[in-house]
Amino acid sequence: MISQTNYIKIPDQVGNDSKKHMKSKEIDWRVKDFMRLGVITLTPKDSMKKAMEIMIRENTNGIVVVDKKRKVVGILSSWDIIKYIVPDYLEEDKHLASFEAPDVFKTRTIAISKDPVSKFMSQPVHCVHPDSSIMEAAATLSTFHLRQLPVVDKTGHLVGYLNKTDIKLAVGMALGFKVDKPEN
Amino acid sequence: MDALFYITIGIFLLTYIVIITEKIHRTVTALSGAMLLILLGVISQEQAIEGIDFNTIGLLVGMMVIISLARHSGVFQFVAIWAAKKGKGRPIPIFLLLGVLTAVFSALLDNVTTVLLLVPVIFVIANNLKLNPIPFLISTILFSNIGGAATLIGDPPNIIIGSAANLTFLDFLSNLGPVVLVVMIVTAYLLYLKYRKQLVAQPGTQERIMKFKPKEAITDWPLMWKSLFVLSLVLIGFFTHGVTHLEGATIALGGAALLLLLSMNDPESHLRDVEWTTIFFFMGLFILVVALEHIGVITLLAGLLLHATGGNPMATSLAMLWGSAIFSSIVDNIPFVATMIPLVKDIGLISGISLAPLWWALALGADIGGNATIVGASANVVVKGMAEDSGHEIKFMDYMKAAVPLTFVALVICSIYIVFRYF
Repeated sequence: MISQTNYIKIPDQVGNDSKKHMKSKEIDWRVKDFMRLGVITLTPKDSMKKAMEIMIRENTNGIVVVDKKRKVVGILSSWDIIKYIVPDYLEEDKHLASFEAPDVFKTRTIAISKDPVSKFMSQPVHCVHPDSSIMEAAATLSTFHLRQLPVVDKTGHLVGYLNKTDIKLAVGMALGFKVDKPEN
Repeated sequence: MDALFYITIGIFLLTYIVIITEKIHRTVTALSGAMLLILLGVISQEQAIEGIDFNTIGLLVGMMVIISLARHSGVFQFVAIWAAKKGKGRPIPIFLLLGVLTAVFSALLDNVTTVLLLVPVIFVIANNLKLNPIPFLISTILFSNIGGAATLIGDPPNIIIGSAANLTFLDFLSNLGPVVLVVMIVTAYLLYLKYRKQLVAQPGTQERIMKFKPKEAITDWPLMWKSLFVLSLVLIGFFTHGVTHLEGATIALGGAALLLLLSMNDPESHLRDVEWTTIFFFMGLFILVVALEHIGVITLLAGLLLHATGGNPMATSLAMLWGSAIFSSIVDNIPFVATMIPLVKDIGLISGISLAPLWWALALGADIGGNATIVGASANVVVKGMAEDSGHEIKFMDYMKAAVPLTFVALVICSIYIVFRYF
């Protein structure tokens, strides 16, 4: 189950502030202009099964993992879960996967379903600040081949979330397309 | 000089202890100990460099490059899957065939490479048979160390011994091959007795194995042919190096250069696959040992050993076999053998006894002794790690319960062989 507490609300003023930037003639797009405010989160102790349930229900491939104080401690993508399901010996040896017993995928998935997210989430997490430039966010995504970036304030607390699609919107805007910003 | 004598022994022992306890990576430990001895002036840089056996280093690097390329073709996996199919999908024949295959691979490749290649196949086959993989894994550990004892290139201690004592590939095969074969047969039979009740066919599993198409394991046919061609040339090189007088490093590095040339491959990734940490570990060890030799400790120890055995060649050989085995079940056999080599040479100088039985006893003890505990050899530790990653724990005592009796029997066979063949 996803409770409302899995979502994070941040003060409206961040969003309002951003509109001034967007309208100014000198283009100075910041992360806060494009980030999403409703972020789905998990705690490190949540199970793989719960993570998968949320991913399927919310149709998302990325979840930010936060501690009790909402500090970002990891990020979880469906990629991390897939990698965790595939046994190491098959990852090390690409020649063998086609010979593996047909039931291994299901038995392995069930065997690890209770494992905590902390065992397979990606760490350390690359984050950006609301005031970081869009180029900085784009560079971080491209340098580390990421799909999503948590946005944190100066104390490391989660305030938003930026993914490839949001950068795509910025690209569209740069090209003069009329695009709709994500609804927060 | 007296102070340096004790400081050197102190540094050497400390290095050994740190290597055993694994508090610091063994390569860092060996290099630090070696450099400290040079800095203290126990030996000069020139003496240290002369102490490094570059024939051993070259042979290891050459084989590592060849295998790193060859394994990408899938040829080794092909053979293992093919063996499972030849076992008609029945657990006991498959269990025994994989054991034999491990020994054969291990005689030609080093033990760690062998288990890295075969353990994934074992998991896949055990899963298809719906059987616990642990008996298969224990058999793989045992046979990798036994098979490795048979040839010059099968286990790093043999490479060091062969290089130091000028023993050829054929010398190893003709002296150690027969006893290794007997040990293999007896071990296979004892493993069969121990595990036959666990190795029972589950319904429907036989068909799964019979549906295997081993050729699917080969992902790069041209590379496979090139690898097999070069591996054959290298083997011919080793079989004939008693006549051609080409040294091991020349043969292995020659093969590596030829395979890189044939595959027109970017060499960077394959050279990166060379286990440089192992290579630097060897370098550090060679320097440590040469320092110990330089201050005269090795000669002293050789004298003590001869005194204990009364200079009797048979007693000295048997002491070497069992001592090496006990030592190697606790310590990595590479540092042990590196230390023993000058000692064996000194025994020859002091007593004038024939050294051949001592070399074979050292090789057998060091290679097979590693079987007794799960930490006795690098291959054992690698298999344990791979098993844990897949959710199967090989417990220290469980392993010993299976392995100690088998190792003991193997050493008894080796003792009988040494006594009857050489005395």
